[in-house]
Amino acid sequence: MAGGLVVSDLAVHFPTERGVVRAVDGISFDVERGTRLGFVGESGSGKTTTALAIMRMIKAPGRIVAGSIRLDDADLVQMSDAEVRAIRLRRIAYIPQGAMNSLNPVLPIGRQIADGVIDHLGPQRDADLKALVAESLDRVGLAPTVAAMFPHELSGGMKQRVCIAIGIVLKPDVIVADEPTSALDVITQRRVMDTLGRVQEAIGASLILIGHDMGLMAQFVDELVVMKDGRIVERGAIRGVFQAPEHAYTKMLISSVPDITEGRSFLGTIPTPAEPKPATGAAPSPLVAFRNVSKVYGRDFFGRGGVHALRPLSFELDAGRSAIVSVVGQSGSGKTTLANILLGITRPTTGDVRFEGKSVAGLRGTAALAFRRGVQAIFQDPYGAFNPFYKVDHTLALPLRRFGIATSRRDIYVCMEHACDAVGLDPHLILGRYTHELSGGQRQRLQVARALMLNPKLIVADEPVSMVDASLRATILKSLYDLKARHGISIAYITHDLATAYHVSDYVIVLHHGHVAEAGTPRDVIGNPQHPYTQLLIDSIPWPDPDRHWGSRQSVEDDQRRLEEIAASHQTIVRSRIPGFDLDTAA
Amino acid sequence: MSTATDDRREVTSFDADDHQRPSEPEWGTLRSRWRATLRYMRRNPSLPVGLALLSALILFSVIGGLLVDIGDTRVMSAPHSRAPADNLWFGSDRQGRDLFAVMVHGTWLTVRVGLIAGAVGIVFGASLGFIAGYFGGWIDNIVNWTVDVLLTVPAMLFLVVIATNVSTPTEPLSSTTMAIIIAALAWRRPTRQIRAQVLVMRTAGYVQTARISGASNLEIIFLEMIPNLLPYLVASFVTAVSAAVLASVGLEAMGLGPQNEPTLGQTIYWMIQSSAFMMGLWWWILPPIIALVILFVSLYLINVGIDELSNPRLRRKA
Repeated sequence: MAGGLVVSDLAVHFPTERGVVRAVDGISFDVERGTRLGFVGESGSGKTTTALAIMRMIKAPGRIVAGSIRLDDADLVQMSDAEVRAIRLRRIAYIPQGAMNSLNPVLPIGRQIADGVIDHLGPQRDADLKALVAESLDRVGLAPTVAAMFPHELSGGMKQRVCIAIGIVLKPDVIVADEPTSALDVITQRRVMDTLGRVQEAIGASLILIGHDMGLMAQFVDELVVMKDGRIVERGAIRGVFQAPEHAYTKMLISSVPDITEGRSFLGTIPTPAEPKPATGAAPSPLVAFRNVSKVYGRDFFGRGGVHALRPLSFELDAGRSAIVSVVGQSGSGKTTLANILLGITRPTTGDVRFEGKSVAGLRGTAALAFRRGVQAIFQDPYGAFNPFYKVDHTLALPLRRFGIATSRRDIYVCMEHACDAVGLDPHLILGRYTHELSGGQRQRLQVARALMLNPKLIVADEPVSMVDASLRATILKSLYDLKARHGISIAYITHDLATAYHVSDYVIVLHHGHVAEAGTPRDVIGNPQHPYTQLLIDSIPWPDPDRHWGSRQSVEDDQRRLEEIAASHQTIVRSRIPGFDLDTAA
Repeated sequence: MSTATDDRREVTSFDADDHQRPSEPEWGTLRSRWRATLRYMRRNPSLPVGLALLSALILFSVIGGLLVDIGDTRVMSAPHSRAPADNLWFGSDRQGRDLFAVMVHGTWLTVRVGLIAGAVGIVFGASLGFIAGYFGGWIDNIVNWTVDVLLTVPAMLFLVVIATNVSTPTEPLSSTTMAIIIAALAWRRPTRQIRAQVLVMRTAGYVQTARISGASNLEIIFLEMIPNLLPYLVASFVTAVSAAVLASVGLEAMGLGPQNEPTLGQTIYWMIQSSAFMMGLWWWILPPIIALVILFVSLYLINVGIDELSNPRLRRKA
């Protein structure tokens, strides 16, 4: 089996202060030429370490302590550094995770592709190099003119495809791709994966795809390896693994991917929503109202030009009923701008945001404090949300003191304990510790606890699950759902993930280039999309089902063209309305 | 409720990132705390070595100051050009200053100039950096523009012009005045460095969290941002001190320093003036140079040590 890779009993250890971490603990597998092997597992499972070991790029003090990595008859583990250098790129290529940071910002793309060629084949004639670069770019679907461009002139998806072009220029036998699309949205992801698959077939290389997305694996690889704590827990043909997963961990990974089908909720049993609180008092003003709110960045002194992050938007969210409103869209669709305007962190360029009938821009003193308390947030990065200098208590106690909820040390502590209990955390294990001592899931639930403690009226959750492992996603979304169902808090759920939006929300707004493309109940908008943009988004989701097709080659090409047409059309389709949330499309 | 809680616990047990992150040794009892500190110091020797050198230098000056009369640093307090002897430990210079007394008082005077100029520079610079970086807008533009322009002008040129104008024959410069002159330019680099740090930190999650927790701008700056910048501020301060010492020695060696005070730089000036090299008066030449080398090396080591302490990426793993 020429060009095949055989790994046997590979072990990689990292000595630390606390003892040896067995990042990879005796794993064996092989990839035949021309096939695709997927590695899944959560952060810390050893999948990236395995990829780096194949490239012989383990950083000291970590090292390969046992096993062999055989490419044909040569053992990569036994090779000298110089020998490995000759193998890299030429026979084994690596496609890195963050294409944004992997390209040299001061060199044109062509130079960066040619670099490796010259390194391995020696000096080349200019014409030959140019032809090679053009061929490589052509394989990944980029025009030859890209060779003269610099990284900042390219979009994220194009940069990732350039990284693929660099990797395949010497037609390697093995391509190792480490989460090549983790920073991209679904539409771009489908394009990049399509490109990668096509190139791999064209040059006949074998491919190792590292990832955590079971859906992507189902759509892309032939064989799947599931890793946990440095070991392989399950291995098999992709169809078999999905139809009859053997290991409990594999089952959990598969079931943690939300599916858009009626009846089965990946949140498990969810409590029935509490009856809407009867409206007290005479006709209360809406909790939050947007009137023609828009945001333009980078305008010049006279208010000309600039980028429209958010086109004029008007809506009213009632105070009496609680609802989860999801705002979905690709990166750059304006959803985070919308979140920051809601939180009062960003000031809108035009229009007026009203909180309980009063304009937010004019709030002072106690009214401003009431707004701060009433609109809380759960941020994307649970690690960054806690000040590393203090114990987590500081972050929890600060708002209690500022909003005058509790003043004495004892009261504050009681409040914090209740908050931890409410999200299923043991206060004795959490309070008095530093952020880095908590796991990602604990941190994210602590953010929920912090918001809940203040008894807010609206919580803005900006991608609350995009940085946590799949197994935790359901748990955190369930705590979000609890906020609405049990505590009657409305939630603005900002996400790029339509599947989770389908399960948790009462209303969905699809944003595209700052413009509302489609809005309505999740069953209408996501279950049966009418707007071409929403359809495209949903078609691009990789389903965790090998039999459900991800779309043909041709459609991927067409989609790009369609996307440009959609951006120009500014069409809004409102599918349905729900009581409590009123989107005004007249403006 | 209980079933919901149970499956949450179960899911949490899948967290694999807990034991992956190498962390500092356990901090429990006082004894293990000591041992952990010692272990850390063995791994990162620059900080303790730098601090030891600096304290040795300052102790020499402070304890010596109790024993040696400042009057002995004056001209004609001892016989001139004498080599070190029992009653004249470091010898004397051509004008008859007791060089041991000069070293004792001069070292402290020089360190003091550095501390004053460094402190003024860092306080002024950090304040400007915070105002510019945190509030942004036109204030930021003005501060940034001013710093950019001032950074292009050689500091020595400024200092020479100011020093020559401030000192008059009847009222020569004092070392404190000189420290303040140096401080007038010492804020430029801290301003710019701290502004850059604040710009990054301003969008950090915990700053946003504090903001929606109702914290005021001052609270965010003093309670959320400054504690995290502390190692950085200390490192900037150490850099500013060594830059100030360098500037003061430069001014003094040119003869623009405090003529009536026996600072290290001033001693170098006298030694150049009196052709100590040609006369072979090695006991006059070596001590101030050694003191300055120790001072700069210790400040450098402290800086490297703080950097290692506060920057986990540089932290060597044993």
